[in-house]
Amino acid sequence: MNIHRFCGSPDHAISRRGFLGTAAAAIGTAAFADMTGLDILANSVLAGEMKKQQKRVILLWLAGGASQLETWDPKPGAATGGPFRSIQTAVSGVRISELMPKMADRMKHKLAIRSLNTKNGDHGGAAMLMMRGRRDEANVKFPDLGAVIAKEMGRADSQVPDYVTFYTQTEGRSMAPGSSGFLGSRYAPMELTTNNQPDNIKRLDGINELDHQQRADLRDLLSKQFAQGRTSAPLGSHNEAYQRVRGLMASDKLFDVSQETDKMRDQYGRTQFGEQTLIARRLIEAGVPFVRVGRAWWDSHGQNFETHQEMVPELDHVMAALVDDLKDRGLLEHTMIITLAEFGRTPSINPSLGRDHFASAWSCSLTGASIKPGAYGKSDATGNKVVEGEVDAAKLFATIYSALGINPHKNYYLGARPVPLVEPGTEPIKEVLA
Amino acid sequence: MANPEKLKVAKEVSHKAIAFAMARVAESMRVYLGCSDFKVYEADLAAMKVEPKELYGHESYVTGVALAGKTLVSGGYDGKLTWYDTDAKKIIRSETAHAKWIRRVVASPDGKVVASVADDMACRLWDAATGKQLHELRGHGEKTPNGFGSMLYAATFSPDGKHIATADKVAKIKVWEVTSGKPVAEMEAPIMYTWDQVQRLHSIGGIRSLAFSPDGKTLAVGGTGKIGNIDHLEAKARIELFDWSTQKRQIEYVSDKSQGLVNALRFTPDGSFLLAAGGANEGFLLVLDRDAKKTLRQEKITAHIHDMTIDEKGETIVMSGHNKVVVEEMKG
Amino acid sequence: MRSPRLALAIVLLSACAASSADLLPPDRPIQSAIDFYVDAKLKASAVTPAPVADDFTLIRRLTLDLVGRIPTPAETKAYVESTDPEKRAKLVDRLMASPAFVRHQVNQFEAMMAGPNGRGNSGGLREYLTKALGENRPWDQIFRDMLIANESDAKTKGASEFVKSRVSDLDRLTNDVSVLFFGVNVSCAQCHDHPLVPDWKQDHFFGMKSFFARSFDNAGFLAEREFGQIKFKPKAGPEKQAKMMFLTGATVEAPGAKEPSKDDEKKEREKFEQAKKDKKVPAPPSFSARAKLAEVALQSKESEFFSRSIANRLWHRFLGFGLVMPLDQMHSENKPSHPELLTWLARDIANHKYDLRPAIRGIVMSQAYSRSSKWTSESQPAPALFAVGRLKPLTPMQLATSLRIATADPLTFENVKPDELEKRIEAQENGARGFASSIAQPTDDFQVGVNEALLFSNSDKVSREFLADGNDKLLGRVKAAADDAKAIDLIVRSVQCRPATADEQKVLQEYLSRRGDRKPEAFRQVIWALISGAEFRFNY
Repeated sequence: MNIHRFCGSPDHAISRRGFLGTAAAAIGTAAFADMTGLDILANSVLAGEMKKQQKRVILLWLAGGASQLETWDPKPGAATGGPFRSIQTAVSGVRISELMPKMADRMKHKLAIRSLNTKNGDHGGAAMLMMRGRRDEANVKFPDLGAVIAKEMGRADSQVPDYVTFYTQTEGRSMAPGSSGFLGSRYAPMELTTNNQPDNIKRLDGINELDHQQRADLRDLLSKQFAQGRTSAPLGSHNEAYQRVRGLMASDKLFDVSQETDKMRDQYGRTQFGEQTLIARRLIEAGVPFVRVGRAWWDSHGQNFETHQEMVPELDHVMAALVDDLKDRGLLEHTMIITLAEFGRTPSINPSLGRDHFASAWSCSLTGASIKPGAYGKSDATGNKVVEGEVDAAKLFATIYSALGINPHKNYYLGARPVPLVEPGTEPIKEVLA
Repeated sequence: MANPEKLKVAKEVSHKAIAFAMARVAESMRVYLGCSDFKVYEADLAAMKVEPKELYGHESYVTGVALAGKTLVSGGYDGKLTWYDTDAKKIIRSETAHAKWIRRVVASPDGKVVASVADDMACRLWDAATGKQLHELRGHGEKTPNGFGSMLYAATFSPDGKHIATADKVAKIKVWEVTSGKPVAEMEAPIMYTWDQVQRLHSIGGIRSLAFSPDGKTLAVGGTGKIGNIDHLEAKARIELFDWSTQKRQIEYVSDKSQGLVNALRFTPDGSFLLAAGGANEGFLLVLDRDAKKTLRQEKITAHIHDMTIDEKGETIVMSGHNKVVVEEMKG
Repeated sequence: MRSPRLALAIVLLSACAASSADLLPPDRPIQSAIDFYVDAKLKASAVTPAPVADDFTLIRRLTLDLVGRIPTPAETKAYVESTDPEKRAKLVDRLMASPAFVRHQVNQFEAMMAGPNGRGNSGGLREYLTKALGENRPWDQIFRDMLIANESDAKTKGASEFVKSRVSDLDRLTNDVSVLFFGVNVSCAQCHDHPLVPDWKQDHFFGMKSFFARSFDNAGFLAEREFGQIKFKPKAGPEKQAKMMFLTGATVEAPGAKEPSKDDEKKEREKFEQAKKDKKVPAPPSFSARAKLAEVALQSKESEFFSRSIANRLWHRFLGFGLVMPLDQMHSENKPSHPELLTWLARDIANHKYDLRPAIRGIVMSQAYSRSSKWTSESQPAPALFAVGRLKPLTPMQLATSLRIATADPLTFENVKPDELEKRIEAQENGARGFASSIAQPTDDFQVGVNEALLFSNSDKVSREFLADGNDKLLGRVKAAADDAKAIDLIVRSVQCRPATADEQKVLQEYLSRRGDRKPEAFRQVIWALISGAEFRFNY
């Protein structure tokens, strides 16, 4: 059996004409007016800026707030430092927590930003801020990073989803939803929560392959007939959404981790986080511009060190596997891996040996995509405040956009109102851009 | 004569660091403290003004201190054991003893054997006089059922010094014969380990404390119950009692008020009472009858307690914890 | 610096362009005034508009717009076949008199009040709107109910949710009130004077916010203090005390602007504590700033914001594009496409004492509303000319209800008394709520996402709810049809509200004939191809 039959390959196109050949003649050629003539495509991302070298982003979202002191900004020996030591990394002068030996070895590809001051220490508000790079206005809901990357890097006619987000744990999920804001549902994320396969991507048993495909062709034909003489962006998006269905269904294998070799699966580790990250790599390799892997839940108000002893080595391992794998595939230059959370954790250690919410001096990391490696910014000796190179959410996003080749000052339009990608007046961290 | 009805705070001493471990010099109020500032301190709690004196340091949290005669043995998250002559006030030796965090150091009642437990999941028995390793006790699983590194938190010698009990994060308990290093009993208290698959995907809990009854027959095990929200330590303090020779659980005790981990368990020397101390955001001290069937006292302590000793008469309880040392008395 | 009041006066003059003296007389029928102004602009632009849509399209459009669903095949047939020259007016009047009109209005207003995040309504607002719109409470009264929000008055209970759900974020409350009732987005002026629009200074934002500054949630009940004021830090200069100021620049000298005495403060605290304990609505203050805003906004010199905004919103709802776009940018730098028409409509609504029904009726009776959505010649006319019907994506409830009606056995709706029909349709509506929740609420620049296409293509829900077999279903009726041609005709009439074209017959018959071995599945697929099609998804 030809397994490629329904994946949008050329042979499949022939069988399509098989049915529509005579039927189409009945309606007339105008019904087949090239879909690219529609407004939606003329306005689409394809038109302008393919030159962005098709950069990709994998966001490892450390939901609940991972501790900067137990990852990128250790303070060994300080009263606030906790029990972990720091270790030398491959970049001279840069030390990170001993919980991340694999990251230390790979520091030549990584940048730790240690001077985030984002001011918001409330899970929900902070998650929205750090997903979007800016605070919503009363009537403007901004698109998040994934939606912007989907719009900027995705192809209008893409056969793969362009924004996928994994968030399996229930804690905090509703506080950090993927959101396309005013960009609308075209850029809304495909959200995977209960398992690693998207909803509604598999054909129901009640209809066979041929019928599923041909009823879609029939739908298409009738809809195109309706579209004759009608110009409308929502109409274009409707047809376009259906055009993508068959491709997305064919992409179900992308979500199937068993397609990988045992060796590769072992490299990532057979944990939920490892497997979802491996799927993320499969997705970006197939052209998905943005994948978020949500790893919840780091909110270690009690037993911070024990929690990080479990979770940081896992992060270290999975991220190392990802970096190595992307490097082997020649994708690391084109892919940015981000570790980010809604905030970090307090330097002070509470009686439950926990650390609480803290947004005044915390860290994130950017890997790949030609970012200059090392460390940027500095917190003071106890980690309580930023003393050098303060970065807020807007500046972080301006840096990410710039590194991906997107002008952070470009405008989207909300009706007549220009809405710049980042807060006006924000510049990227020039020092870390290649 | 110990009288729980008379339990009251006798003294509170603030300290600049978290005191994870404590050893008391027999028949005195002199204690050694292992602390979060990587230091070992000596303090005379009988003094009018208690001023802990720094003795020496480790390279990470100091989480175990034990007195074997005049020798103080301390262990820390740096994996090192440091042997200190308390008379000469000199370090005898300091050596890496474990590949991972040392969680507890205890000495046998006769002071001849010192034991250390660590997250490399080994319990090592050392000759207190020479510092030579006598046995390495292995058998606690390296990984939790969910693939994370496990932790070996607790160890205690039996009153006759013939056995040592150890307990880990996933709440497995083992009893070993000291002379041969062979395991002789195995039990578990699974409720003390919480793995949250659905909401948070990590774990919390574990057995944090162990105590043999003075007759050596009962082994008390301390930790906390199943935690709903593992961001916090919010479950009721929990103690289980085992007849370890038959490996049978006798009692499951759950505090009705006190929240958090039971970090320290001690029977009074005459075996009349079982004391438990620990905490979450605040601390607690529980005084139970010998069988943990009756709660005699349930006290809030102003600090999360990590270690505890009780004097020879069973009347004075010294607890060390979050930036504090607390002395309580229950003199009849 | 110009005083805000003066600036606004200038703005309003230039924005209105036409003084009422130049306008068509107020007694001109609304639809006629609309067409006068729209036609004039078309003429001036040398654009010939699209012809009036056919009857099939018109009844579908009107039914969707007025009662939130597609017509049943019987309704379509009766309308198309009627030779009554007044049939359209009669249809509009029948639809507007039906309870479904109220329900649809409730859905529309509820979606509008929920704001872009759709948050904050626990059902009370819906309950209130159902009652208020059911008795045709005028729009100014509804506005007043929303703002004053007296929770102890059964008549307005539920209206308080509008303020209450936003009161923890006063910036949002301030802006939402400005946007929804006055067509003005002042959020930019929160941090600095509006960079592009000279109308909006920080004084306006904080002036508006001052009306809400005393409001708070007192253990689940909306409460308002006697005291309280807003201070803000202008971009330049020292901290400033805001005055209660409406968008026109009109200010209110409010009592309680001075710091209260310790004693007064204590007394007030006790009052709210007591109310908390009693679990009761706290007594209103002697001076309510929110009530004052309702009063100021509706007084004759300031009410234009209010009347123009609702006129623009209604126009936008029915024409798919506002006279001012976007709806929250009604200011001097963003002129209406038809300034006189907007002014005329706003005046007409005010003259009708904010009863919205005459305006709604006038709009849907106009030629401008009735044009075909097809444009056959080359260059597409600007949307603001209203030369061609605009496609409106169905709202979640319109889509879900229409799906249920389209896929029900058409006989369900035939030969029954009007009351019974109404009941049956309401039952379909109620059954539609679940599915509606999986559909996105359309906005301007709406795009259909692939999640919807996947939902239609592969979800069990669609298959179960709309493609099921059974006596009460379209599929059941179709299977009993004498031949394929009749079956197709039945399907197309039910789903598309029109007869099948010859071409469609040909294509669909071919589709069916290739599936002679699995006819029921084939019918199901044809129904699917239509309900998931573009024609069904839009109000065209």
